[in-house]
Amino acid sequence: MPKRHAPSLPPSPPRADALAKALGAERYAFDARPEGCLWAGAFRPGALFGPEGGMAHGRVRGVDTTAALAVPGVLRVLTAADVPGANLQGIVHKDQPVLCGEVLRHAGDPVALVLAESPEALRAGLAALRADIEPLPGVFDPEEALKKGAPQVHAGRKGGNLLLGAVIEKGDARAALKSVPVLVRGEFSTPVQEHAFLETPCGVAQLLPDGALQMTVSTQSPFRDRFEIGHALGLNPFKIRVRAPHLGGGFGGKDGATVQCLLGLAALKAGGRPVRMVWDREESILAGYKRHAVRLRYALGAERDGTLVALSCRVVFDTGAYAHLGSEVMELSMEHAAGPYRIPHVRVVGRCVYTNNPIAGAFRGFGVAQVSPAFESLMDELAEKLGLDPLALRRKNALRHGDENCSGVRLTGSAQLTDCLDAVAAHPLWTTREAWRAGAPAFTRRGVGLAAVFNGMGYGRGLADMAIAKLELTEAGGFLVYNGVPDMGQGNSSAFALLASQELNQPPSAIGLVQPDTEQCLPSGSSSAGRTTYTYGNALLKACAAMRVKLLSRAAMALFCDNLEGMELLPGMVRHRPTGKSLPLAAMAGFLSRDDRVCVAEALMPVAQNPPDTGKSFFIGFPHLLFAYAAHLARIEVDELTGRVRVCDYLAVTDGGRVLHRQGFDQQAQGGVAQGLGYALLEDFRLAEGRILTGDLSTYLIPTALDLPDIASEAVEGCEETGPHGLKGVGEVGLNGPAPAVGAALYEATGARLRDLPFTPERVLTALRKKPRRRRT
Amino acid sequence: MNVLTPRELPELFAALAAPGARVLAGGTDLLVRLRADLRQGRKVPSSLVRLDGLEELCGVAREPDGALRLGAATTHAGLLAHPLVRVELPVLAAALADLGSPPIRNMGTLGGNLCTASPAGDTLPPLMVLGASVELASAAGVRRMALADFITGPGRTRLAPGEIVTAVLAPSAREFAVRHFEKVGRRSALAVAVVSLAALLRLDARGKAVEARLAWGSVGPTVWRCPEAEAALLGQRPTLTALKRAAAVVRARVQPIDDLRASAAYRSEVAGNLLLRLAAL
Repeated sequence: MPKRHAPSLPPSPPRADALAKALGAERYAFDARPEGCLWAGAFRPGALFGPEGGMAHGRVRGVDTTAALAVPGVLRVLTAADVPGANLQGIVHKDQPVLCGEVLRHAGDPVALVLAESPEALRAGLAALRADIEPLPGVFDPEEALKKGAPQVHAGRKGGNLLLGAVIEKGDARAALKSVPVLVRGEFSTPVQEHAFLETPCGVAQLLPDGALQMTVSTQSPFRDRFEIGHALGLNPFKIRVRAPHLGGGFGGKDGATVQCLLGLAALKAGGRPVRMVWDREESILAGYKRHAVRLRYALGAERDGTLVALSCRVVFDTGAYAHLGSEVMELSMEHAAGPYRIPHVRVVGRCVYTNNPIAGAFRGFGVAQVSPAFESLMDELAEKLGLDPLALRRKNALRHGDENCSGVRLTGSAQLTDCLDAVAAHPLWTTREAWRAGAPAFTRRGVGLAAVFNGMGYGRGLADMAIAKLELTEAGGFLVYNGVPDMGQGNSSAFALLASQELNQPPSAIGLVQPDTEQCLPSGSSSAGRTTYTYGNALLKACAAMRVKLLSRAAMALFCDNLEGMELLPGMVRHRPTGKSLPLAAMAGFLSRDDRVCVAEALMPVAQNPPDTGKSFFIGFPHLLFAYAAHLARIEVDELTGRVRVCDYLAVTDGGRVLHRQGFDQQAQGGVAQGLGYALLEDFRLAEGRILTGDLSTYLIPTALDLPDIASEAVEGCEETGPHGLKGVGEVGLNGPAPAVGAALYEATGARLRDLPFTPERVLTALRKKPRRRRT
Repeated sequence: MNVLTPRELPELFAALAAPGARVLAGGTDLLVRLRADLRQGRKVPSSLVRLDGLEELCGVAREPDGALRLGAATTHAGLLAHPLVRVELPVLAAALADLGSPPIRNMGTLGGNLCTASPAGDTLPPLMVLGASVELASAAGVRRMALADFITGPGRTRLAPGEIVTAVLAPSAREFAVRHFEKVGRRSALAVAVVSLAALLRLDARGKAVEARLAWGSVGPTVWRCPEAEAALLGQRPTLTALKRAAAVVRARVQPIDDLRASAAYRSEVAGNLLLRLAAL
């Protein structure tokens, strides 16, 4: 068993970025606007005519650049013919052109790139461009796309529109489901979700006289970006320097190239001048990646005492026009499809399908947010069928340390879902639920729902989840942490500063941070997968330990001590305790060479040993070993007259191992819940034949402060022994709970199980009409 | 683009006479539209003429006939903070409190909300049930007309070229015992109304309705009235039974449209349902 009680740390200091962000002093990629820079913008003709016109699939016959080039201030108009390299980008599958020369595969595909002296000239140039596009029949439904004779998104591709078909299997679910005493089934759907980060994709790039390309960009993956850009544009990736300052949000939508390849191309043609590209909100929604829409068909069987026996699940993923991370997101969906439960017989079948819809990709809760509403809804239905308390049913079946999970992986890491459920069970929001429900005002029904969720950490098997930390003793006697994983706002760099301050026994003010820069920092993977603080944190702890030994031994020499005994690292100095002799760090920095002032160390996330003999079609990522867990509770009010749902109270109890920084931990839980409540209730991404009908934030609605309750966040005390000071990543798990918790609360309030997200007032009112009488429990 | 800030009405009318000039009140609708026009390469005005430099267009005052005079360039937040508006025009205050968000309410003006003439304009249903009228002014002089006549369709008013709304005249609703406004949007702030209802009922000593005024937003091209539903409430106490009867009339008569925010069927259902809320007041 993991240790339950780790020694507690001193109270957390404010986040390292708090002051700069509160003062507006933090410089984002958006703020990079070098003097004399040019402006680049993409021409996306498929969306030219607003929601009423446009097209999502067409053959590019030509681009007429004459009028655009005649606009004063327009310098260049580039098309596919100007792209020097493969003109293809994609993290795993390279199938997305930087500029489309032959086929438009979705409404946001670009066919030209304009370089102009000013934003006004750029706008005029883009408005003057004309493209000759021959419409092609499109395919907009993933199941239609798999039918014989369906239009092909990538003509001539082996496998047609099926990007990947995969199976994860354990035991014999088909046979077991035939003989289980109790069976529940359901079909579900989850929608596209837009990241809606505050800072839209943006950056600046410049080609230097020595041929190096440098870029400051809002990105989650600066080290990988070099290879994306290099491949697409035919450049040596090691002559590309990418800097990633703090991001104004990412949530997965900046994991992969957004502006990068376009900006690189623009810089190559800008005569050495810097070029800036900023997508406005509409372009960000049009061309950016989305959460995959998924259809799910489930069957879950149990014994009469509630012991889960077998689960079968089929998922169909709409990955849109390009592969991006479609297979990888589906992998996570399938691996989490059976929920955080022990089930001996499991069969999960997935198909990830190309369509002419917008490109889907990574989004916080990467595939897991799509399956959690389904497995939790079936758990509730099962509890009702068996007359069991839904919390008790979950507790009975919850995965624990040492169990084999539904993919057949032995859980050697911490797994404290039962503690999360116990904390919910003991919470006043749960214990007072009957009285609260009975106090509903006129025309109002109340419901209380819960959800048990989890989320894998790291890249999974097949792709080393590694980070390399670099730590420098500065000339002034402070320390600099060279962060290799972008901080999207989740606070990982603050966590690094805190770890360094604790390990080196220095005040927070002595620790500086260098944000990711491929020239100064070392490759540490992407900011994603709940891995940032875990993997880089482990590397940093090693670097700190090495630094400590280095400083003690260098000081021992200067203080004429024979060994390290009695040497201690104190704020600003090393002291020899027995004699009281000390040496300031600034003095030491003066006589150490730069090389000797730096410590570098790496860490690798462990993977499952003896991986199960299934999931063979996944190139990378299957299976995961470590998971964060959470139990969520939502108390809601449903208005009988309008179907509107108000979330009154919310509780998230999270197992993230040991908590390093309580404020950061709570912010991750609360942010995930906020985004999850938007997914559950509001965010209704609408498409018609591949054209986006909700193309801005006045039609695509995300929650405002008034739409969210106070979100109580609690932590169960745990310890993941492989994590830095026992922590696990908690960035994603919080997003997976709200949809199932609200769904369960809605059932209690209305008597109807809603299986299609989002739970709009219209769907709720329809459900109320079908179940007009108040359900008594 | 020039931005002008006249201090006197004649100066304003002169500025508006220039070709391509447009009135800029709070800008919360206009600037959004101008951005879209710029983005699509469409023509934009050559000058914007601000109203907030004209003191006579701002503030709240009592008219000789007892009605309140609401300056057209008064911001929503300014109206909401005014005690006379809160006490005498609670249906309007309720609509203003739900309009947009704090920044929108700090910028947007009542006159702007009327001239935008959106089918979903939040202040329109309450002003309709209040029987408000508008005062218009141009170089040619001043005229008044009922708000119901002023707005002729979505985005369309009787405003003549060079003319502006100077004030809204709203009679007090103090005689109405039942005063209600409700907006149904897709979220709790910064939401376009899917359906809204403003209701005033004047009751006699026995609690029976002697006058009913009902107006809905977002269910038609302009504010929708339903005299049949109003008639169904007369002589009745506003009980659930009586309101359900009137709601059935509403659902049978209302003819909303489908759009991104809601279906016609949802709007019809909710347009009727909102009346039932009066039973819980």
